[in-house]
Amino acid sequence: MQKAVRASPMSETQFAALVDAIAADPHQREELPALLREDHSLYDERGAAAIVRMRGWVLLAIARFGVSDAALIFLLEELDTGTDAYLLAAAARALRSYPRPTGALAPFVMRALARISYRDEPVLLETYGEYAVSSASTSPVRELLTTLAWLGPNARGILRELERFRGQSGGLSRKLRIDVDRTVHAIRSGDETGKPGTDSCCATPPDGVRSVSSWPLNCRGDAEPVESITLQDDKGELITFNEFFKGQPSIVVFFYTRCDNPMKCSLTVTKLARVQKMLEAQGFGDRIHTSAITYDPAFDLPARLRIYGEDRGVRMNAHHRMLRAVDDNDALRRHFELGVNFIGSLVNRHRIEAYVLDIGGRVATCFERIHWDEQQVVTRAIELLNETQS
Amino acid sequence: MATKRKAAKRSKSAKKRGASSQVLARRAVSIATNEQKSAKQRVAALAEAPLAAFGNDKDLAAVLSVLRNKDEPIAVRLGALESLQAASFSADVFAPYRGDYLATLRKVVDDPDPELRQRALGVLMRDKDGFAQQKLLDGLKNPDKALVPPEKALQLLSYDVHAEAYSVARDIVKTPPNDEARREALRLLAADASSAPMFEKLLRDKKELREIRQISASALNALNPEKLQKHAREILLDRSDYDDIKATSLTALAQFGDDESLGKDKALLESVDRLSAGKAPSKYKQSARRFLKKYDR
Repeated sequence: MQKAVRASPMSETQFAALVDAIAADPHQREELPALLREDHSLYDERGAAAIVRMRGWVLLAIARFGVSDAALIFLLEELDTGTDAYLLAAAARALRSYPRPTGALAPFVMRALARISYRDEPVLLETYGEYAVSSASTSPVRELLTTLAWLGPNARGILRELERFRGQSGGLSRKLRIDVDRTVHAIRSGDETGKPGTDSCCATPPDGVRSVSSWPLNCRGDAEPVESITLQDDKGELITFNEFFKGQPSIVVFFYTRCDNPMKCSLTVTKLARVQKMLEAQGFGDRIHTSAITYDPAFDLPARLRIYGEDRGVRMNAHHRMLRAVDDNDALRRHFELGVNFIGSLVNRHRIEAYVLDIGGRVATCFERIHWDEQQVVTRAIELLNETQS
Repeated sequence: MATKRKAAKRSKSAKKRGASSQVLARRAVSIATNEQKSAKQRVAALAEAPLAAFGNDKDLAAVLSVLRNKDEPIAVRLGALESLQAASFSADVFAPYRGDYLATLRKVVDDPDPELRQRALGVLMRDKDGFAQQKLLDGLKNPDKALVPPEKALQLLSYDVHAEAYSVARDIVKTPPNDEARREALRLLAADASSAPMFEKLLRDKKELREIRQISASALNALNPEKLQKHAREILLDRSDYDDIKATSLTALAQFGDDESLGKDKALLESVDRLSAGKAPSKYKQSARRFLKKYDR
């Protein structure tokens, strides 16, 4: 169930040098985004703080020569779900090297700004692994505001929200209020309509950025490698992958109860509860299965799964279960190509990921990194139900 | 009309209160930062300063500077830290100053005063600060660099389950610098699923310190409750084990066990009966009697 514990072969200093070397070589630069995949072996057996330092350094290296479409999704992911000051500052700075500033980026920046404003702190982006011991350096709020100013009139969609943010009673120092005013001015200038746009609640990534992947029936990977895996549900009942996922479409999300980022696992499971309500309302409550599978099966025992699900409104019965892999978590990880890594058996970093499986238990659609839309997931599952009927 | 007047009056007096608390805060800060005043007066001013109400960069900068300044009396610096900590609870008011506060705390983690070091690291670790985490881990791996005793470092690292502390804690369990450090290392490992087999061994080892066996029982309850139930039963059946460990086992069975199977377990009920009638301290006997009563014995 657990990965064999082994020493990380590369020191953080060596890692930073490797990233710098790749960034300096025009023929290798395109490989940098691959270093942001959570399941990269470089992140095996590292603590969460080390991973923050490492990923931040990769983001900053990418910023030095310009963000590609392949790298953009990682930046948007950070802005969409990140809570770490250093990573948010690095992502905001990196975004300014994207060659096509568009309005679709602004809501991501604005949401990050609202999230971090009460937890702003000085960060150093120039040297690997250094922490600020004075406030003379930059901060995520400062970087995010600079990025909104860089977007200029492209960010007018979030102007009303930014003005509300400016008007809030606390949260901003006098210096930062001046920065907000500058940002508002930069967004207004050159904006011919002068009209503030809508809020940032419903952001979709710009064209060219893929957070949803779908496969037609004949291109789906076989579920055979995981069919016999034993899973245990929130009541302690054992069931194989095949027994639960074959015979009807299923919606599967991944999470773990010790995740300390409220924008990830807790929200994901809460959204799964909303998905269940939508299915129920549309008459599919018993025809489409849902499940939340933990990344951390050694710790997330049935009682923990049940309480975590109950607290977030998840309905649990024969068709809808909170699950843990009893025997081969690694096989599950390989099958779904999960964006997760571990230190011992504990998760050290993961992405957001939701899957819709067809009646054969094969992955038909994958929603990753950016917050998924519940209705979109439900619609896709219903499509798969119809696919089997047609 | 009368209601309107009352509301206006209320709002006026609230404003007055706000203004007066700011005046008080400013006065307190000016005493607290005045080197001519005695340390006692300054500490008292810091304790009374309603820092949550202060609303300007200068006051905060002055208090932060007291905290940073190694030439200031340590009691005043600790008082400054306490005031700032209290103020930080008002997240809305404190948010603009949070960055300066964290930077200052990082600055003082290697202060010559051990209490200040420990408290600054404590505040930072409650915030899951990567800088503090790195310092604590460095100190555990290399005692020459340690800013706090190992047992304290482990305690602080346990605030963040994602700190890479498990492997260091395992090393400390194997070769502990002292008993306290070993105990704290075990407490930290109580959240590490892969440590469950070690806790089973410790729980069953009669030569082990009782406190360690009790920590192990609690850890097993979190990591592998079924195993704890099994061992708890065996401990209760073992006539040669200690009464306090038996009492811990009894609690585990009573609180988390399966009532139906426990009620039918004759051997277990007899051993609990022996505990209730034997020479064990009365508090253990009482637990045993409560347990038996639950199953109509």
